[in-house]
Amino acid sequence: MDTLDGTEWDVLIVGTGLPQSLLALALSRSGKKILHIDENGYYGGTEAAFSLQEAEEWEKHIDEDVSAAAFSNISITKSESAVSETTPSLSFSRAYSLALSPQLIYARSTLLQYLVSSKVYRQLEFLAVGSWWVYSAESDNMDNGEPSISSESGPRHGRLLKVPNGREDVFQDQVLDFKAKRALMRFLRFITEYEEQMEMWEDHRTKAFPTFLSEQFKIPITLHAPLLALTLSPSVSSQTTTEYALPRIARHLRSIGLFGAGFGSVIPKWGGMSEITQVACRASAVGGGVYVLGKRLSCIDGPTSADNSEEETSGFRLRLNDGEAISAQHVVGELSRPPISSATCCKSITIVSSPLPPLFPPIAEDAPPPACAVVVFPSGSLPLDADEQAAELPPIYIFIHNSDAGECAAGQSVLYASTTLTGEKGFQLLKKAVRALLLSVDVTPAPNVLWTLQYEQHPRPLISLLALDPDERPLDLLTDLAFDDSVLDHVKGIWQQIMGDSAGDFLVFEDREANQGDDDE
Amino acid sequence: MADSGATAQPKPSSSVKLVLLGEAAVGKSSLVMRFVNNDFQENKEPTIGAAFLTQKCNLPTRTIKFEIWDTAGQERFASLAPMYYRNAQAALVVYDITKPSSLIKAQHWVAELQRQASPGIVIALVGNKYDLASPSSGDSAEDADAAPAAEGENPEEEEGADARRVPTKTAKAYADEESLLFFETSAKTGMNVAEVFTAIANAIPETSLKGPRGVGGQTNLGRQEDNRVNLVGGRTEGPKEGCAC
Repeated sequence: MDTLDGTEWDVLIVGTGLPQSLLALALSRSGKKILHIDENGYYGGTEAAFSLQEAEEWEKHIDEDVSAAAFSNISITKSESAVSETTPSLSFSRAYSLALSPQLIYARSTLLQYLVSSKVYRQLEFLAVGSWWVYSAESDNMDNGEPSISSESGPRHGRLLKVPNGREDVFQDQVLDFKAKRALMRFLRFITEYEEQMEMWEDHRTKAFPTFLSEQFKIPITLHAPLLALTLSPSVSSQTTTEYALPRIARHLRSIGLFGAGFGSVIPKWGGMSEITQVACRASAVGGGVYVLGKRLSCIDGPTSADNSEEETSGFRLRLNDGEAISAQHVVGELSRPPISSATCCKSITIVSSPLPPLFPPIAEDAPPPACAVVVFPSGSLPLDADEQAAELPPIYIFIHNSDAGECAAGQSVLYASTTLTGEKGFQLLKKAVRALLLSVDVTPAPNVLWTLQYEQHPRPLISLLALDPDERPLDLLTDLAFDDSVLDHVKGIWQQIMGDSAGDFLVFEDREANQGDDDE
Repeated sequence: MADSGATAQPKPSSSVKLVLLGEAAVGKSSLVMRFVNNDFQENKEPTIGAAFLTQKCNLPTRTIKFEIWDTAGQERFASLAPMYYRNAQAALVVYDITKPSSLIKAQHWVAELQRQASPGIVIALVGNKYDLASPSSGDSAEDADAAPAAEGENPEEEEGADARRVPTKTAKAYADEESLLFFETSAKTGMNVAEVFTAIANAIPETSLKGPRGVGGQTNLGRQEDNRVNLVGGRTEGPKEGCAC
């Protein structure tokens, strides 16, 4: 009875990453018989979140599995400082829920809209992303700068400058001179309706964004970094194009204030996107979907014999890793095996012994307290070696989650760092950035690094429907640092193909439970 | 943190995520049906898929809204449970008092919860199908121990009135050792069913209801948390023209 052998399904979904889980959610009320499997012993795929112990198991086992090509060069470092009664130390394993692919979700993202319309938002909690900071290597000498939060004395280190949060902030800024302010204000006015002003940027479309800022708006170089930061661009600034940057900055600014004053993006509590994948799978299970972990699609035996010739597309005969033969009308997953690809980014997750309060100033009156801060090291701000051209190095992004995010013990914080420099140099750069960040935050006692996980991430194919003529779409939308709505468009396309004419509205459901008219929400 | 009781609100209300675990056919879904609808079906089909139900429990000082996640029918793949008990504040681990093997399975679930679930989780061990036991059978541990049901499947046919195979004492001792709440219930007669849920509600530490930082506390859906972002608040006229880029 514990075997799947001989079972027939309408849809087999392979993998429990975010796209697959959203598809499962979309199909959860369709009445279709769904089998949802994952080769791992955990949910979430590349979006998984781990306790310390799970992370250690992951580190040990992933290298055995060649097919798990999403990650490589994983290693964990525990603080080597002697454990005494007074030094802060790690809490128990399950106090942590560390996200492998943390992303910001902008308030205007259709993801949030769909989580609401499908009612699964009731099982989720979202927390505000507060301040954005840009690292500057120049030490803090001319300080009247209230944007700087570093101490005045101490060793030579850089400082963090707060990115103005919209036009009011720029207006009230004490540091900017009048000319710079005016240029910046002009740009911010332009970006609110940049789509209508093609003539302003048409010529710069594929050219470097900083050049556009200088030539078109006379924005001083010192203000390029904060604007580039808002793009979350993985590339060096000279390769970040205007057509890439404008919509992303616009998305940032247009999202501010949608769910409360002063912030424009949110993170899910308890482990980032992993939480969304699990909530989506749970909803699918409640709808009758069957979930089996540690199960892999090992081969496709062929189309099911269509002797009764009623339908042409009568599905597939499939084999799972334990030899179980099943059949399914539709098969969805990361089906096109990625070619052995080189990594696209290095990431690290660092647990720090301090809540780093200076990074989390209140956002605004009435706004919820922030649980996430963003620190950006612009390309060029951190040289790797003396002889290395720092300008050639890509930027480093660090998301700092405090313990409100439910991912670490109280009094600590988690630093999620990433850069597109790969290999050993990428890891070195991340270490350097984490150290620079901690030095530039003025807290007593000084924060210690308690634990670090580092890994390289590889691009993944988008999920696709199994067809006899596979269409190759090696796309990778999930290594972006902010959730990309086109993931949902893609999932919707697959959902439509499965549902055909009876599709109805995508991800629009009633509450499962009549709320007995007691709505305290 | 808003302090309850400061204003003239009614009673503070909080949601508690409760997951139901146990071997197939011990009566998990029946317990929930009794609790939620005060209803019992004699020969209920095995639950297909999983179920989600909610029910309120009124305590003197607060109202607890249980969100009940039933893994019914999928125990055999054991893959649903981890996702279900993630961030759960309470678990109801059910066995059948006429089937000793179901207690063993329940003990496995308890061990797994203690290893994997939220540290502060409240676990209740529930021996169901009390209606199949004769009134005093629970105390006479001896005859139950001495006569192990060969294959406890249909014991009542041979043994007459008393089909009990798990003495109350045995299960109670185990529950005490592991600090679990313990009840014997009958979903059929309704005996002790409401009591189980009330006991769980009372055992949930106030702190895990108060705020998101409480041990194992989560999804306090009924209340607006201070630091939660409200996705359906006043301002949501439209993430419509979101700029997908």
